Amino acid sequence: MTQENRSGRPQGRPPEGDSRLTRTEAQLRGPFLLFFVSAVIWLLAASVLGVIAALQQGSLAAGPFRGCELLTYGHVAAAQRNLFVYGWGFNAFFALNLWLLSQLGRFELRNGWLATLGGAVWNLALTYGVIQIFAGNQGGFGLLEFPREVGPVLAVAFLLAGFWPIVAFARRPTGHTFASQWFVVGASFAFPLTYLLAQLLVLWQPASGVVQAIAHSWFVSNLLLLWFGASALAAVYYFLPKVLGRTISGYYLAPVGFWTFFLFASWTGPSALIGAPVPLWLQSVGVVAGAMLMVPVIVTAINFHGTLSSESGWSRAWNDTTLRFVSFGAVAFTLFGALNAIFGFRGYNAVVRFTSFASGQEQLLTYAFATMVIFGAAYFVLPRLTGSLWPSAKLVHVHFWAAALGAVATAVALLVGGYENGKQLADASVSLAQVAKAGSAWNMVLTVSAVLLLVGHVAFALNAFGMILKSSAPASAGRHD
Amino acid sequence: MKNLNTLLAGVFLAVALPFGALVISSQVQLGSLGRAPAEEGGPLFPSREPGLAIQGRAVYVSLGCVSCHTQQVRPAGQGSDIARGYGVRPSVARDYSQQKQVLLGDRRLGPDLANYGVRAKELAAVHEAIKHQGAFEFLYAGDKKQVASERAIALAAYLQSLRQDYSSPEAKLKQ
Repeated sequence: MTQENRSGRPQGRPPEGDSRLTRTEAQLRGPFLLFFVSAVIWLLAASVLGVIAALQQGSLAAGPFRGCELLTYGHVAAAQRNLFVYGWGFNAFFALNLWLLSQLGRFELRNGWLATLGGAVWNLALTYGVIQIFAGNQGGFGLLEFPREVGPVLAVAFLLAGFWPIVAFARRPTGHTFASQWFVVGASFAFPLTYLLAQLLVLWQPASGVVQAIAHSWFVSNLLLLWFGASALAAVYYFLPKVLGRTISGYYLAPVGFWTFFLFASWTGPSALIGAPVPLWLQSVGVVAGAMLMVPVIVTAINFHGTLSSESGWSRAWNDTTLRFVSFGAVAFTLFGALNAIFGFRGYNAVVRFTSFASGQEQLLTYAFATMVIFGAAYFVLPRLTGSLWPSAKLVHVHFWAAALGAVATAVALLVGGYENGKQLADASVSLAQVAKAGSAWNMVLTVSAVLLLVGHVAFALNAFGMILKSSAPASAGRHD
Repeated sequence: MKNLNTLLAGVFLAVALPFGALVISSQVQLGSLGRAPAEEGGPLFPSREPGLAIQGRAVYVSLGCVSCHTQQVRPAGQGSDIARGYGVRPSVARDYSQQKQVLLGDRRLGPDLANYGVRAKELAAVHEAIKHQGAFEFLYAGDKKQVASERAIALAAYLQSLRQDYSSPEAKLKQ
C-alpha cells in the first residue's frame, strides 16, 4: 500500500483512461461482445420464464398452464434461476471483469480466441443443461440442477473464459493495485474452486445424508457472495470514483473490507439450514458469519455512500446514467448486508424460514445490487467499445424506471410478503388454504413486477443490440471513433 | 495486496477452510450414521427404502417437487411444524442416512412431506393429492384421468414411504 502514492495519483482512484478506444479495448472487443450479447439473450429468456413462474406460483390449480408438464412450476422456477445466474450473471461478469482488469492492468488480450472458445462452450453447455431441466432430467439441489455431466464442462469453460482477469493482474506493468482488482481476482479464483468441490460432493461422489445439504448451502453462499457479490463490488469501486472524478472516501479501509468479505462470506452457508436436521454448531457458525459479514458491508458503505455524499455526489450520480444504476446497486448491497445479519438470528429466521424471504434476499443481491451495477457498467463500457452512442435516450429511461421499480417491487413482495406468510405459517390455527389466500395479493405484485422487469430488459436489449449492430456495420468504423 | 500469490493464497484459504470445517467435518461427524435401534434389541430405523420408492424419488426430483415442498420437521419453538402435524418429533440427521438424495427443500408453497406416509392412509387419497386439483393430471391416463401411469405409481409409493414417526437414538418419542 505504501508505494501507491509513488505512482503519482491519489489513493482510491482508478487510473485515468483514454476516452478513445485503446489498444487494450480493441483486443478484448470480440470476446466482450460475445459474452455481453449472450448474457442479454439469457436475461431475456430468464425474464420470460420469470413471468411464467410468477403466474404459476400464484395459483397452481387454476393457472394458465395447468396440466402442462413442460411448464410445471418446478421446471420453470429451476430453469429461470439457472438461466439468470449462469446465463446472465456469469456471462455479464466474464465481460465486465475482463474489461475492468484489462483497463486497470493495461492488459492486451492476445489469445482472445481462447476466451471466445470458453464463452461458446459455456453457453452450449448451459443450453443443454436447461433443455435437460425441461425434459425432466433435473437435480434436486438449487443451482446444481443441471445433469451432472454439465458440471465439468462448465468448469473447463470457466477456466477458458473467466480466468483472464487473473492473467491480467499478473501481467500488469505497475506495482500499484486498486480495490477492484482484488475483488475480481478473488471472484475469478474462488468460483472454480467452489464449483469443483461442490460438484464432487453433491453430484459425483455424493456425501452421505444431510451432508449433501450442508455442501450445497456452502456452495450457494459462495456462488452468490463470492461471484456475484465480489464482482459487483469491484465494479462499484471502479465506476464511482471514475465517473465522479474523485477519490473513494475512506479508501484506506478498502483492504479491510476485501479481506473480511472473503474471510466471512464462505462461512455463511449453514445459516440457510437453521432448524434443519444438521448439527447445531454448524447453524450457529452460519449465523455468526452472517453477522460478521456486517464488517465488510459497513466498510463498503463508508466507501460508497461516503463518496456519494460529499460534494453533491448523489445529485451528480442521479444525472449520470451509469452512476444512477451503480449507486442504486450500492444502496441495495448495504440493505442486503443488514437484512442478512438480522434475519440470520434464530428467532427471526424461524419466522421467515421456508417462505419467499430467502428468495427476496437473493434477489436483493443478484438483481437489485449486481444486475443494476452491470447495467450501469454497460452504459459506460459499450459506447467506448462500439464507438457509437446509445440509439434511444427514451429507451434508457424506460429501462431504468422499469428495472428500478421492478426490483423494488419484487424485493418488497418477496420480503414483506414472505414475512407475513411466515407469521401465518407459525400460527398452527391458520389453515394452509387461508395462508395461500392471504398471499395472493403479493403474488399479484410479483407477477406485475416480473412483467415490469421484462419490459425494462427488452428496452435495454433493443438499445444495446441496436448500438452493436450499428457499429459493426462498417467493419472498422468503430475502431477509430 | 500487490502480490498475486498472497492474494490467491488468501482467497484459497478463505474458501478451503470453511469447506474443511463445515463440510468435511460434518461428513466426519455424520457420515457413518446408519440404521440403529432406539433401545437395545429394538427394531432398526430408518427402514430400508422399497425399490419402487427409490424410483418414485427420481420422479419427485425430476418434476421439481422440491421447489414447493420441504421434508424436514423443525424442533418445537421454531415455527409450528409439530403443531401443524407435520411430525411428532423434530427430524434428525439419521432419518436421512438411507437416502441417496436428500431433499430437505427450503420453500413451503405446499405442506411439508417428511411424514406424509404417516398421514396418508389410503392410496386413492395419495393420488388425489398428486393431481394437485388437476395441475398434475398429465401423470394420469384415461378419460377421467383415473389410470395412474408408472410414474404416478412410483411417486405414490415414494410419498407413502416417507415417515419419521419412529424412535431414534437422537430423538426418542415420548411414551
